[in-house]
Amino acid sequence: MSKAALRQATREALANTNVCSALGKFADNYVIAREQAYRHKDFEGLRREVARIKREAAERMEELAAQFTREATRRGATVFRAATAQDAREYIARLARSRGIKTIVKSKSMASEEIHLNKYLKEQGLDAVETDLGEWIIQLACQRPSHMVMPAIHMSRNEVAEIFSREIKKPVEPEISSMVQLARRELRRKFLSSWMGISGANIAVAETGTIVMVTNEGNGRLTTTLPPVHVIIVGLEKLVPCFTDIAPILEVLPRSATAQHITTYVTMITGTVPAVDPDGNYHEKKELHIILLDNGRTRMAADPVFKEALQCVRCAACLNVCPIYQLVGGVFGDVYTGGIGTVLTAFFTDPQKAQQVQNLCLGCGRCRDYCSGNIDLPALISELRRRTVEREGLGYVEKVIFERVLVNRRLFHRLLKTASRLQKPFARGGKIRHLPLFLSGLTEGRTLPAIADIPFRDRVGTLPRPDRATGRVAIFSGCLIDFVYPGIGESVAKVLAALGFEIVHPEQQTCCGYPAKQAGLTNIFAELARQNIAAFAGIDAGHILTACPTCAEALKFLYPELLAGDPVWSKRARALAEKVTDFSSFVFAHREKLVTFMIPLKKKVTYHDSCHLKRRLRVTGEPRQLLIDAGAELVEMTPADLCCGFGGSYSIKFPELSRSVLDRKLQAVLGSGAEVVALDCPGCQMQIGGGMDRQNPRVQVMHTAEILARCLAGTGRVQNG
Amino acid sequence: MALNKAVLPDANRNLEQLYEEFVTRARALGTEVYRVPNLAKARELVGKLVQEMGVRKVALSESPLVTALDLAAAVAGAGAEVTGGNPRERAEAADLGISSFEMAIAETGTLVQDATEINRRLVSMLPPAHLALVSTNRLVGTLQEAINNLAARGQIPGYLAFVSGPSRTADIERVLTIGVHGPGKVVVIFIDEGGDAGE
Repeated sequence: MSKAALRQATREALANTNVCSALGKFADNYVIAREQAYRHKDFEGLRREVARIKREAAERMEELAAQFTREATRRGATVFRAATAQDAREYIARLARSRGIKTIVKSKSMASEEIHLNKYLKEQGLDAVETDLGEWIIQLACQRPSHMVMPAIHMSRNEVAEIFSREIKKPVEPEISSMVQLARRELRRKFLSSWMGISGANIAVAETGTIVMVTNEGNGRLTTTLPPVHVIIVGLEKLVPCFTDIAPILEVLPRSATAQHITTYVTMITGTVPAVDPDGNYHEKKELHIILLDNGRTRMAADPVFKEALQCVRCAACLNVCPIYQLVGGVFGDVYTGGIGTVLTAFFTDPQKAQQVQNLCLGCGRCRDYCSGNIDLPALISELRRRTVEREGLGYVEKVIFERVLVNRRLFHRLLKTASRLQKPFARGGKIRHLPLFLSGLTEGRTLPAIADIPFRDRVGTLPRPDRATGRVAIFSGCLIDFVYPGIGESVAKVLAALGFEIVHPEQQTCCGYPAKQAGLTNIFAELARQNIAAFAGIDAGHILTACPTCAEALKFLYPELLAGDPVWSKRARALAEKVTDFSSFVFAHREKLVTFMIPLKKKVTYHDSCHLKRRLRVTGEPRQLLIDAGAELVEMTPADLCCGFGGSYSIKFPELSRSVLDRKLQAVLGSGAEVVALDCPGCQMQIGGGMDRQNPRVQVMHTAEILARCLAGTGRVQNG
Repeated sequence: MALNKAVLPDANRNLEQLYEEFVTRARALGTEVYRVPNLAKARELVGKLVQEMGVRKVALSESPLVTALDLAAAVAGAGAEVTGGNPRERAEAADLGISSFEMAIAETGTLVQDATEINRRLVSMLPPAHLALVSTNRLVGTLQEAINNLAARGQIPGYLAFVSGPSRTADIERVLTIGVHGPGKVVVIFIDEGGDAGE
């Protein structure tokens, strides 16, 4: 898949309003329903336990596979270790042929999708019918599932009725309960006449040889009960050591997948059991074949970074909360979709496709908070990107930008100043509404702020100072505040002056490097990290403060990680990190001094949680309290923590997607009835500000620092910046 | 398979409280829940339910509890017949299946059955409705307790079935629809004094 093909696929998905509205509607309800399902449960504790079990199981994969094989064999099963998808497919076809079997019923199995089993069996002249309702619909429509748990979520009842009409050659009314009954009747005939059942597995217990399956419809129970031959396909990552390990996985899987406390059926199969075949003959022990599927899993287990992905229990929560998946559905992935799907695609199904698809991740980090297996999915995708770039290299333009310009601070800043002059024909009132030709996607539906005439670094001499300084704070401005929003920097200085702090702005500081990290360029990120660490090294200040959460994350968390292998720089990185704090947390800690200066802001304000501030710095309450202290009437929007869609260079790579995510955010803001949107991130300000400027310019978008500074001005009124 | 009483959880657990919790969860899932003091009342209730549901054909899965209740007579008394033929035919022809369960989990409204025996699986899956019988003293609090309980047995049964309400799907437009492949109606009767037949 090429870059252009991927972009085209996303455009088509965005144009399919069915997908967007079905997924969007589900996603909104999901978060609330899931919350209720976890009431009285300690999700953090449970997922840590699941992560531990699965991590240790992945480390002992070979040993557990051998133990499982022994135990299941002892109980009468035949266990086959399939190294590749081809091995698994052939085993099943060979088995069917040798038993003279033509008709097969299947219950839902992502592993069977992964090995493209249905297509293969059809080529072999075997009739395998999917019996999960959603899977059956997908099979009849000749599509592939767009969601791991809800395969046909992208289809409307009318489309399903059309598909069913074709299948039974009679008109079918698009009425859901009667269509479900139709499926029951049609598939019941298949169940009763089939000689082989194929199912997947959610858990495989090594110590007992037990397979655990969770289903709601009951097709899993029929598949494993009626046919006299049963084949189970189970990925090696489903192995756990002990029977009691089932409990924590069963606690999180249904709750995170469909917000159920438990699925209607949980089936645990240990060895062979009796059956009655379609001819009515009783079998004391039916045939049970268990295929342990590798297909990239041992390679994943051996990878120091990606072994973490084996902690996944396939609940699909990461899809459900992903702002991009909500828009494009199955386009984000291959057989496996969404964030985890991208990683699994790289190892199990289509590495080439994964290299393109990983670009769709916005990096908002929302999935990390919901993952049942406690996987740092954004970090895995970022690593996928890094390896792709390492292997494939960068495009020419990106190469010049990152390798020549960004690492050379003087050149970078000189170019920005030049750009400030060159943009003049397009800029009016500090904003750019139209850009020529290829950049037009950037301004469609939003305006862009112009690069400031005078950057923040050249305004340092004229900043407000405290009457009597009680401390010193070093400012890390970051590119956006330095060159686009110097006003935010001035507001920061004003608030700090009111708190009694004088500020210092080290001249040698440059871009934090996050864009290089995002582009997969670890070496350039490290170079910028060293430049910034050096820039702040000799500065006499108790704190390093930044009003950009992305920069804060880079300085505070990413630099020490990035330079951990270097004894000298790692020490310096940690020393820097200790001093770094975000604007709102710092002011909140000193707010007693501030409140007395306040003249109340009598406005309805809603607060947007920036991804990096909420999910990395874990700051949510502080800015809200400061706004309330400032006299604002705080009204929450839902969801307040949905990404604005900016994602740095994402808005350039996928302008349509970025804008669609933004649209959802703007709807949330407008729905709150607020007059002002407060936020703590200049990137979000650029995105939301630009969108709001087009949608409803009366709603103001301001950094918390700007709001506090305005209140300090004594007018108590918010004015346009 | 007889349940080893030694591994049952805390004998002093509050059964009344567990029962209330079970009722709340199970009803939320669409399960009908009844409770009777003894076998005689259970037999009476089965007959009444068979009549009320308008059931004509019943598939039974033998178990000590089903035998002790003399359900064949109760079903006949209610004007219905117990189906015949091979096990598949018996179950497929029935409007109602009846079987006994060995454990009930309060926090999730779940019934647990050792379904290794083929009849149990057939009567609890093929007919459109199922009537589950369980001794009240087999209630446990949590899923974790149920799993620990099973793990403590000498050998894990060949086929364990956890059932929480009627068969359901939401695969078309996320609209919840009851009764896809399994029973669309699930009724459970808790029996306080089932004697030794309580499995």
